[in-house]
Amino acid sequence: MMYLAQVINSTLREISPILLVALCAGVCSKVQVFNIALEGTLLTSAFFAFLTHYFLHNIFLSVAVAMAVAMCMSFIMSFFIVRLKGQPMIVGMALNTFARGFTTFLLSVIFNTKGAVNPSDMKGLTKLSLPVIRDIPFVSTVFSSLTAIDYLSFVLAVVMFVIMYRTVIGFRLRALGMSASAASSLGVNVQRYQIAAATLSGCLIGLAGCLLTLGRSTMFIQDISGARGYVALAANNLCKGHPLGAILSSALFGFTTALAQSLQGTAIRQQLLQCIPYISTIAAMAVYNAYAKRKAAH
Amino acid sequence: MNSKRDSHKTLGRILDAATQPLVAILISLLLGAVVILIIGKNPVAAYGEMIRGAFGKRVYLMNTLKRATPIIMGGLAVCIAWRSGYEAMGGEGQMILGAMAAALAAYYLPLPGALRILAALLAAAVVGALYSMLSGWLYEKFDVTFVISTLMLNYIANYFAAYLCNYPLRDPEANVYQMQNAQTGKIPSFATLPPIIKGWVHWGFVLALLAVFITWFLFSRTTFGYKSRMGGLNARFALYGGISPRRMLYLVMILSGLMAGLGGAFEALGSKGRYVDQMIFSTGYAWSGMVAALLAGMNPVGTAVASILLAGLAVGGSTMMLNMSIPLEVCNIIEGIITLLMSVKLVRIAASNRKARKAAKGGEAA
Amino acid sequence: MIFEMKHITKTYGKVVANDDVSLHLNRGEILAIVGENGAGKSTIMKILYGLEKPDSGEIVVGGKPCRFRNPSDAMAAGIGMVQQHFMLFEPMTVAENIVFKNEVRRGPFIDRAKTLETVEALSQRYGLKIDPGARIADCPVGLRQRVEILKILYQNAEIIIFDEPSAVLTPLEVEALLETLRSLAAAGKSIVLITHKLQEVMAVADRIYVMRQGRVVAERLASETDMNELAVLMVGHPLASYDIGRPLTGETLLETRDLCLTEGGRDVLRRISLHVDAGEIVGIAGVSGNGQSDLVSCITGLRSPTSGTVTVCGRDVTGRPVREIRDAGLAHIPEDRYIWGSAPEGTLEENTLMGKQDEEPFSSRGIVSQKEIRHYAERLIGDFAVKAASSQQKMRELSGGNAQKLIVARELSLGTPVIICCEPTRGVDIGAMESIHRRLLRRRGEGAGILLVSSELTEIMNLSDRIYVIFEGQLVGEFPRGSMDDRRLGLLMVGGTLADEQ
Repeated sequence: MMYLAQVINSTLREISPILLVALCAGVCSKVQVFNIALEGTLLTSAFFAFLTHYFLHNIFLSVAVAMAVAMCMSFIMSFFIVRLKGQPMIVGMALNTFARGFTTFLLSVIFNTKGAVNPSDMKGLTKLSLPVIRDIPFVSTVFSSLTAIDYLSFVLAVVMFVIMYRTVIGFRLRALGMSASAASSLGVNVQRYQIAAATLSGCLIGLAGCLLTLGRSTMFIQDISGARGYVALAANNLCKGHPLGAILSSALFGFTTALAQSLQGTAIRQQLLQCIPYISTIAAMAVYNAYAKRKAAH
Repeated sequence: MNSKRDSHKTLGRILDAATQPLVAILISLLLGAVVILIIGKNPVAAYGEMIRGAFGKRVYLMNTLKRATPIIMGGLAVCIAWRSGYEAMGGEGQMILGAMAAALAAYYLPLPGALRILAALLAAAVVGALYSMLSGWLYEKFDVTFVISTLMLNYIANYFAAYLCNYPLRDPEANVYQMQNAQTGKIPSFATLPPIIKGWVHWGFVLALLAVFITWFLFSRTTFGYKSRMGGLNARFALYGGISPRRMLYLVMILSGLMAGLGGAFEALGSKGRYVDQMIFSTGYAWSGMVAALLAGMNPVGTAVASILLAGLAVGGSTMMLNMSIPLEVCNIIEGIITLLMSVKLVRIAASNRKARKAAKGGEAA
Repeated sequence: MIFEMKHITKTYGKVVANDDVSLHLNRGEILAIVGENGAGKSTIMKILYGLEKPDSGEIVVGGKPCRFRNPSDAMAAGIGMVQQHFMLFEPMTVAENIVFKNEVRRGPFIDRAKTLETVEALSQRYGLKIDPGARIADCPVGLRQRVEILKILYQNAEIIIFDEPSAVLTPLEVEALLETLRSLAAAGKSIVLITHKLQEVMAVADRIYVMRQGRVVAERLASETDMNELAVLMVGHPLASYDIGRPLTGETLLETRDLCLTEGGRDVLRRISLHVDAGEIVGIAGVSGNGQSDLVSCITGLRSPTSGTVTVCGRDVTGRPVREIRDAGLAHIPEDRYIWGSAPEGTLEENTLMGKQDEEPFSSRGIVSQKEIRHYAERLIGDFAVKAASSQQKMRELSGGNAQKLIVARELSLGTPVIICCEPTRGVDIGAMESIHRRLLRRRGEGAGILLVSSELTEIMNLSDRIYVIFEGQLVGEFPRGSMDDRRLGLLMVGGTLADEQ
């Protein structure tokens, strides 16, 4: 029983960063900006969240800086893709390579190491302990050591849904993504909307970055993003850019990751367990597409 | 007379094709210089070290060529797939499994001398091709996009190889207490790719150049080259013209995976003499190969040249790191910026802007 | 006078699209601009709508000189345009499409109820019936056009430009459209109608400009002219009528039996049985989107039919790969030259080779012969008078008409007994059209069987020995040459029966 609660708990903690990134990916895909720089953006913002906190000891400032950095990266990405007509795939890979090099570079310049920095005296995001819940045995484990951003990510999914499907601005974004020529024939500056949407939604990745370095533990490791950006891309692909659907598809990946973690120490070796989230990503997409195909045929 | 004009034309074409990569390399080196300045080092000296460390002595040059070998193969894999319109990025996974297959075959197969090398290369090619076909199959049967399937498969391959060399196939003679990456057994020297001449680069580099030639020949002289290019330019046109898309997909995937797999084999048999955990993943060979292919506009010969340059950047970078204590990752930053700049048709944009400005001016005057 | 264009000149490179064009529009008037494809009528309207900038000349709207940098400027000045290709968001509803950019809002939110109300009111005011909640993807073409018109009315446009509005409509929808034009004019809107269909012009227009080769060559009041005069003015010489001679029919070359195609639960093709014999051109008449493209893709192997058979030169090729069907003796001039018919980024050589890549002398054992390919491409370019600088230039650098000629050249030079020919002259100028028609007739004379699919009824009537009429995926009639007039064909094309006529 306790074990189950722990699995759910770590699933929840795995969901939130992927969900936040997937929400950004959702906006980008709705406005037809193919963003695979998610991974690099996540890595960079995670690093800067850590760096800011390390020097300034101010959690709010760290979150703000992480969001700003993520928005910067997203701006560069969308500017190159939309304005300069760069090939999206290559722009994304370039930024990911850059992010990997840049963060490791700064890591070795500032901390004189290439592996991990794990300062013991650093205090990350506060773990919320909710009044009623902390007294219920099973539930308290389920919701233990979650930060405000973990909770916020689910709220943000709903907020993004409202923005995209209920407001004027969301309506316009979805519409211009469906047909850029129709939108521009009515005098809408499509490129400006695309860049603005991609840039602003970048701040969601910033929040995810904070979770990685200031959430569960306060540390930075080389490549700490660990393909979460790509997984989020797949998650968004599954839910077709719908913010509420993103909760479900992120949950799938969160769960498999948590499962892999919980099986550690069993007979199955760690390296094989680490394959599980990636294999299930492919499997989920294959199954979903096969299902969609069959549905379309009928 | 005629041939002279033709050769001028060829030269012009090469220059045209080279302008953007050169501009991109220049800009990114400048930005790299800014970074070096910021950390308080002298960029001129640093780049001097880098060039010397990459090409200055025969040993250095050989190191560069050694490193270039898998990059060239990864680049060819990208050339083959992308030119045909399949934007697959699975080179890394295929290379990892290829290296693993070659290392295992060369270590375990009871074959004499050269035959063992041949078997190892064959194993790497087959494994690489199969792994590449897997993403092709996922795409054809289930519409799983190449971006996602290949990225995921890369991680899977790396973890799987890590598992193999950590547990079931770990080098039996390895010192358990030694702090180093896990590895498979050391290949006997008769089954490795030997240097061409003592102190020179290993035969893998020559084989890579042969692969460059073969790829060039495939592209420009065969119906396969024609069909794959048409498929890449307009898949529907190719279908309409009687080119089977399914057949091309698998052919292209096989060829591309084969190249990447062999790249891994060259690294395992030529440089490391075994499979060492993370040997492909951490060095980013496949990504450098992709950058090289991109710099060369999917031209195989250009890819080889660009691969050597990028290998020089990394090899020279480590000299720079040792002698001037500048982190090696400056090279990654430079590589990233080059790629970013190459994603855009800078030259074409500049030209069309010029044209537009000129036209606007003309309109005003009239 | 609500607007005036003075001495507009516009060139694209060496091509003069508009040469010193001056025209004006009066309030509440329906003005028609007629001309052949490429006469410059679309360009002049793009300039008025801010999509293109003139090289020289002046636009005056409501007495004030204007410079339109983009469509927004034009819209602000009260000009709206119903484009030839609809600019709609297909997954969205009719109402959403109409209010886009001027949404009915409540704070930052969309007020859905009020949106529907507003659109409903608008539709009633102008008598344009629509269902505001329907999704565009589910609307037929005529309705979509109505949405376009409402969109413009919603923006309070005073001047409405229609660019070839009837090109995609069924005859019944055309009737409705003409009625709409009249009522809009009666409501005080000023209308510019760009078209090359003279019946429609004579039916609704008050005044007519005729354009030819970028110039305005005539201005007429509708009451003072007739179709014949306009036709002569448009073309510059009296129209030649086709005399294709008697067919020399022989054996059956292409045959389909009970061909059916079901897609997503919808019957796209229903039991199509047709045959094409040697030495005849068989036309398929129909409003676009009634299954013609699907029929062609089933015959040519781009898709597999659900049931039924396709026979080419006596060989059953049902559902076989394209390669095999082509080898059985079939050539295919596709409907869209850039989507199916060519690789725009490829060279002319590469584009002419397609289909012959595995044949001697162009390749042997997988190795290609550059020299042979070049000779062949140069020969086709010469034979078909394709205007190209070199066989190594890119396909997209050719003009539409020349690109089409090259595709026709490629397919006809295969020398196959069966030729599937779709929209062979869409968007090409008169010269290219005549040359393509001549080539088709020549192949017919040589004994080829040609299946001609075209949305231009005139083209079908002029060239075909026999005509099938297709409606909603079904063949609803078969007629020999000369036994039908276009009015009766038109009736069948929209699902009527010949009994309805009485």
